Amino acid sequence: MKLIAIMVGKIMVIMGKILKRGSSFPGKYALRIDKNLFKHFKYPKIKIVVTGSSGKGSTSSLIANTLKVKGKVCHNSSGANIDWGVATTLLKYSNLFGKIKTKYLVMEIDERYMKKIIPYLKPNYIVITNLTKDQPPRQHYVDLVYEDIKKCLTPDSTIITNMDDPYLRNFAKDLPNKFVYYSILKNKYSYETQIFENLNIYHCPYCHHKLEYSYYNFETLGHYKCPNCSFKYEDAKYTGTNLDLEKKQLIINKEPLKIGGDMLYNAYNTIAAYACLQELNLTEKEIITSFNRLNDLPSKEFINKNKVFRAISCKAENATTYNQAIFKVYHDKNKKDIIIGWKEISRRYNHFDISWLYDIEFELLNDKSVNKIYACGIDASNIKQRLILSGIPENKIITSENLENIKEEVLKSKTSKVYGILNFDYVESFNNTFKKEEKSND
Amino acid sequence: MIKIAYLYPELLDLYGESGNIKALKYALEQKGITAEITNINYDTKLDLKSYDFVYLGSGEPSKLELVKTKLQKNKATIMEYINDNKIILVTGNALSLLDLLGYYEIEKQTAFKVADVIATTSLVPGNIYGFQNTSWLIKTLNSPLFKIDQGFGNNATEEEGFKFKNFYVTSLIGPILARNTNLTNYFVDLLISNSKK
Repeated sequence: MKLIAIMVGKIMVIMGKILKRGSSFPGKYALRIDKNLFKHFKYPKIKIVVTGSSGKGSTSSLIANTLKVKGKVCHNSSGANIDWGVATTLLKYSNLFGKIKTKYLVMEIDERYMKKIIPYLKPNYIVITNLTKDQPPRQHYVDLVYEDIKKCLTPDSTIITNMDDPYLRNFAKDLPNKFVYYSILKNKYSYETQIFENLNIYHCPYCHHKLEYSYYNFETLGHYKCPNCSFKYEDAKYTGTNLDLEKKQLIINKEPLKIGGDMLYNAYNTIAAYACLQELNLTEKEIITSFNRLNDLPSKEFINKNKVFRAISCKAENATTYNQAIFKVYHDKNKKDIIIGWKEISRRYNHFDISWLYDIEFELLNDKSVNKIYACGIDASNIKQRLILSGIPENKIITSENLENIKEEVLKSKTSKVYGILNFDYVESFNNTFKKEEKSND
Repeated sequence: MIKIAYLYPELLDLYGESGNIKALKYALEQKGITAEITNINYDTKLDLKSYDFVYLGSGEPSKLELVKTKLQKNKATIMEYINDNKIILVTGNALSLLDLLGYYEIEKQTAFKVADVIATTSLVPGNIYGFQNTSWLIKTLNSPLFKIDQGFGNNATEEEGFKFKNFYVTSLIGPILARNTNLTNYFVDLLISNSKK
């Protein structure tokens, strides 16, 4: 009887394939039949789970796509990472008896859904990319997410996480598991005096004294120590050096490694995946060869009217992703215009919470290299208000309901670069608006 | 010059609460008044005498606990400050800190109260817009701050917050001063009139 839900779900997956309709519906339906669905699958021997506030998709894809050379992988590549999505992926890869016939399982799992899946899936390895402020109406605060994850972890999982983040050290403080750390060492983007505010950890997790940093890589990431107790950054097993975002590469063990983009998170996702694969005993050569192929991605920049356009995709309600974008723009001293906006704040709910806008360090855009900032979309006036309160002169800020209305002005502007600091739902509109060729004969 | 004390910004920094300080500073500067902001950190002695405006914002429960222990030791200082008619603004779940003064009672909610808020207040004309994302609400019904058209009030009523002299407490985030210039200007006018006394 316990296999009924799997059988029904499996038939729905097959029907979906025939009708060419893919969705998370089979998983949703099977979980409705049996809420203990995850208990009944027979999982592969090697199971890897990736979770965190951001970077789950890229990190798990790098791991899964590299492992494919070694054997079949069950992976939720579509990014369906809550219980229905994970269940649907498992149904796809399982037979009618719930046996998943792959060598590996690699799942990205939403941080708040870990507790529903992990106790049954019992992964050998859990990669925790980060835990940052994210979707406050749903997540409320970071400690709550931390507690949710912590409670469901079983002691036999090896936890792979970021040494640079003192907040993630809480796991080792509270759990008996084996921990493997990765780190990106001081690099040309590191800084010595904090430039971000409103962060989720300032104090020692053990004694609450304020942490001291010899350098920061970004926000709370860096080389820290507690002045009062023995808590400090420890040497990590896997370290990346000579980070070069312009060249989109990191050096690991003297070997250059492509990181797949020009953002700091690309580097952290890559080294997280690297650490995981090394723990799975893949050779350095196998990993580097695979990553250099998988991460050889086209540039996201394009040129129109002699200007370089670059959309940076962020996650609304996640200040850290916007801070990464701002950190990137901050390092570019070219004369530039900036466009900030989104279609909607959340697809999950209708709340209008803009508090997270005040956790973003827009103050870093108050610089003479910034020509104009265009606040676009449905929340243009709120973005403008935030920018004004960052000290940015009002005459530099222009609001617009859409991108089309500012297109002409942006194309005519005497700047060499245009950045879009955008929610992911606005990136395509940005690219379509500014990539379009003019119909005139010039 | 107006002196603003921002209490424990490294602990009480959930939900963009520093936006309230930014909005107040900006509004003062628009009137040609200089605002000096002092971040009061956890390891410094709490001395409020020289300040005109004190602010406490939302924090994670573990951090609220640390702050509450600290504030408990400084109860007399805070009460003296309030009795001098000086301004304290408390927003979001920081309302669960200063119930220790005994002016109002609080109630832990069984589930998070999450809502868009539309309210009015006798302090200023127009609507007040904000957001609630809290597991604490005020229980006390006398002397509320807002009349809630949408959102959660004290003890399941349509009135929210607490006011005593110039001690203002609300569960609203927003940040409320950044989202409501009418309310910010109320505090600016109050600071100006206090400074003339």
